[in-house]
Amino acid sequence: MTTPPMAQLAGPAGAEAAFRTGRRRRAVTTAGRVLANPLSAIGLVLALVLILIALAAPLLVPYDPLTIDAANRLLPPSPTHPFGTDEAGRDIFSRVLYGTRPSLLAATVILGLASVVGTVIGLVAGFRGGRVDELLMRLTDMFLAFPALVLAMGAAAALGPSFFNAMIAIAIVWWPWYARLVRGQVLHLKHELFVDAARVAGASERRIVLRHILPNCWTPIIVQMSLDVGYAILTMASLSFIGLGAQPPAPEWGAMVAVGRDYILDQPWYVAFPGMAIFVAVMAFNLLGDGLQEALSPRWRR
Amino acid sequence: MALLALEDLTVRFRTRGGTVHAVNGVSFDLEAGETLGLVGESGCGKTATGLAMLRLLPRPAGRVEGGRVVFAGRDLLSLSEAEMRDLRGREIAMVFQDPMTSLNPVLTIGTQLIETLVAHRQLRGAAARGRAIELLEIVGIPQAARSLRRYPHQFSGGMRQRVMIAIALALAPRLLIADEPTTALDVTIQAQVLELIEELTRESGTAVILITHDLGVVAGRTQRICVMYAGFVVETATTRQLFAAPRHPYTVGLLHSIPRPQATGIGELIPIEGAPPEQLTAPSGCPFAPRCAWRIAACWVDNPALVPLTRDGTVAGEVVNTGPQATHRLACHNPASAEEARAGRPLRPGFEAAPPPTDILAVQPAGSAA
Ligand SMILES: Nc1ncnc2c1ncn2[C@@H]1O[C@H](COP(=O)(O)OP(=O)(O)OP(=O)(O)O)[C@@H](O)[C@H]1O
Ligand code: SF4
Ligand SMILES: [Mg+2]
Repeated sequence: MTTPPMAQLAGPAGAEAAFRTGRRRRAVTTAGRVLANPLSAIGLVLALVLILIALAAPLLVPYDPLTIDAANRLLPPSPTHPFGTDEAGRDIFSRVLYGTRPSLLAATVILGLASVVGTVIGLVAGFRGGRVDELLMRLTDMFLAFPALVLAMGAAAALGPSFFNAMIAIAIVWWPWYARLVRGQVLHLKHELFVDAARVAGASERRIVLRHILPNCWTPIIVQMSLDVGYAILTMASLSFIGLGAQPPAPEWGAMVAVGRDYILDQPWYVAFPGMAIFVAVMAFNLLGDGLQEALSPRWRR
Repeated sequence: MALLALEDLTVRFRTRGGTVHAVNGVSFDLEAGETLGLVGESGCGKTATGLAMLRLLPRPAGRVEGGRVVFAGRDLLSLSEAEMRDLRGREIAMVFQDPMTSLNPVLTIGTQLIETLVAHRQLRGAAARGRAIELLEIVGIPQAARSLRRYPHQFSGGMRQRVMIAIALALAPRLLIADEPTTALDVTIQAQVLELIEELTRESGTAVILITHDLGVVAGRTQRICVMYAGFVVETATTRQLFAAPRHPYTVGLLHSIPRPQATGIGELIPIEGAPPEQLTAPSGCPFAPRCAWRIAACWVDNPALVPLTRDGTVAGEVVNTGPQATHRLACHNPASAEEARAGRPLRPGFEAAPPPTDILAVQPAGSAA
């Protein structure tokens, strides 16, 4: 066989860098497609704003979200308190801004746990097939048979009401969707010719699952996660609202709405602002999720 | 001893619609560095034969139900999965028909090429990358170093098939199974890719099984040919012998189906009427009988065995399995004569293909599961 001129043997470092550029270019095209649709562009911008607020909350808020000011209880919106104050004189604007933190944290933890557990179970079930698949899918179906919120309530109640336990409870009811999604992908991917080609090249089963099948599942998993962020935020707020999640006076939207309920007739802004925050966050991530799905779906089918 | 010996290989697919008798006792030998064409219409069991050798039949439907595959003295069907994995890619490689789906769409060409090198711990890191670039250059991919970082969708079908060939030949295997490597490609690209395979395997002394439905593809490219029909080898000979003196009516039909008959010296284009059988039951007679113009009454009830011939058409005494002196073998009750082969039809005055015996038709359960 011929030996190529040395000049053509690119160093691994150079190849690695260019490889990364290729990835970046792909990410840029996807972002471009998301921005091309006005609705998903709005979703993307709002989501970025929410993330920025969560990161920079201490720098943005005019008041500490927990400091009690008995002299200024239940004030209506004004230039000094743009969203008014609550029954202990805490600044609702500051509390709503801080509220992005538990919401986004909860969504990240819930979806992180659910997708990891679900992906592992889905990969094993789909690839192994047979009895393993049967067993894992029965288990999954058991979880899916209950309404998600009811099951999450039960799990949260059993674990004891706290923000942390609520996240775990929601993750417990969430993974089966990812298990189903990934299993479905694997069932069709494992018959692809490239899997046979990898086998012919001597790849181990483990390598085939992790190196050839899993990367082909990323796109649907990411799309599903982006579609789920809004629902995860909503579910977390719901559990907090019924007292099973964040406990007042923690600045969490669901918990704020729960307390604000008592003042809904005379101080409607108390529930309105955290309620709107939930609405905006859920909408933003849903729009973004739809946009991502749109931008990626024709691509990943080739 | 031959590099590869298939002995009575039998493959079945058990499906809801019944058991498909895909490969029915196929035997052939292959010497190191020898090239063999495996030819037949769609569905005759060529791919199943190739996959069975590598133990990659689609599970759980596909199963080897009999026979042996002896490669370099070892029966592949009795190796452990780990031993088999070590052998795949390193000793036996395969190139598939469809280059569009045989590369993973989310991995770069480089990743997939390097995978083979690393999987067998031959090379790693920069050395593996360097070898990968070298391999891409050998198979004629322009800008090899840059191509390493490209994804499959950035290549044409022909280029992808070149990449597949690079992957297949990365470790200089002793046997390459090329399953219709050019069927999905443009005609102009086909010859280039075939030449590439020919050239590279000749250099490395790799034996080749070239699977195709087109006798024109193997003409002049392989040393020997096995013609398959409905999971049976119906005729086998050196390529020269098979083109010069085809005896089996199906081979004659295939020769007259080559789209460019002038090139092969065979007369007019005569399509083979009808379609191959469903193969849901073992055939009671010759599987080709319903389509055969030469059939006699015996063809309906007796499936002829593959037996050696000599040049004058009688059964040979001494039999050679491989090499340029390989014995011509045939499975047919009423072979075509040289003139008939050239004409593509029986020439005996008053000869008519035997009609199906009515009693057999009456008894035969249509498409019933075995
Ligand atoms: N996964 C499967 N399940 C059931 N039957 C199958 C399967 N794969 C192949 N078969 C059947 O086995 C027989 C042989 O198929 P095979 O793929 O080996 O044919 P082939 O000669 O390679 O044809 P082609 O030119 O179409 O590739 C056919 O009748 C086919 O229908
Ligand atoms: S002549 Fe008879 S045995 Fe020969 S191919 Fe025709 S049908 Fe089969
Ligand atoms: Mg085939």
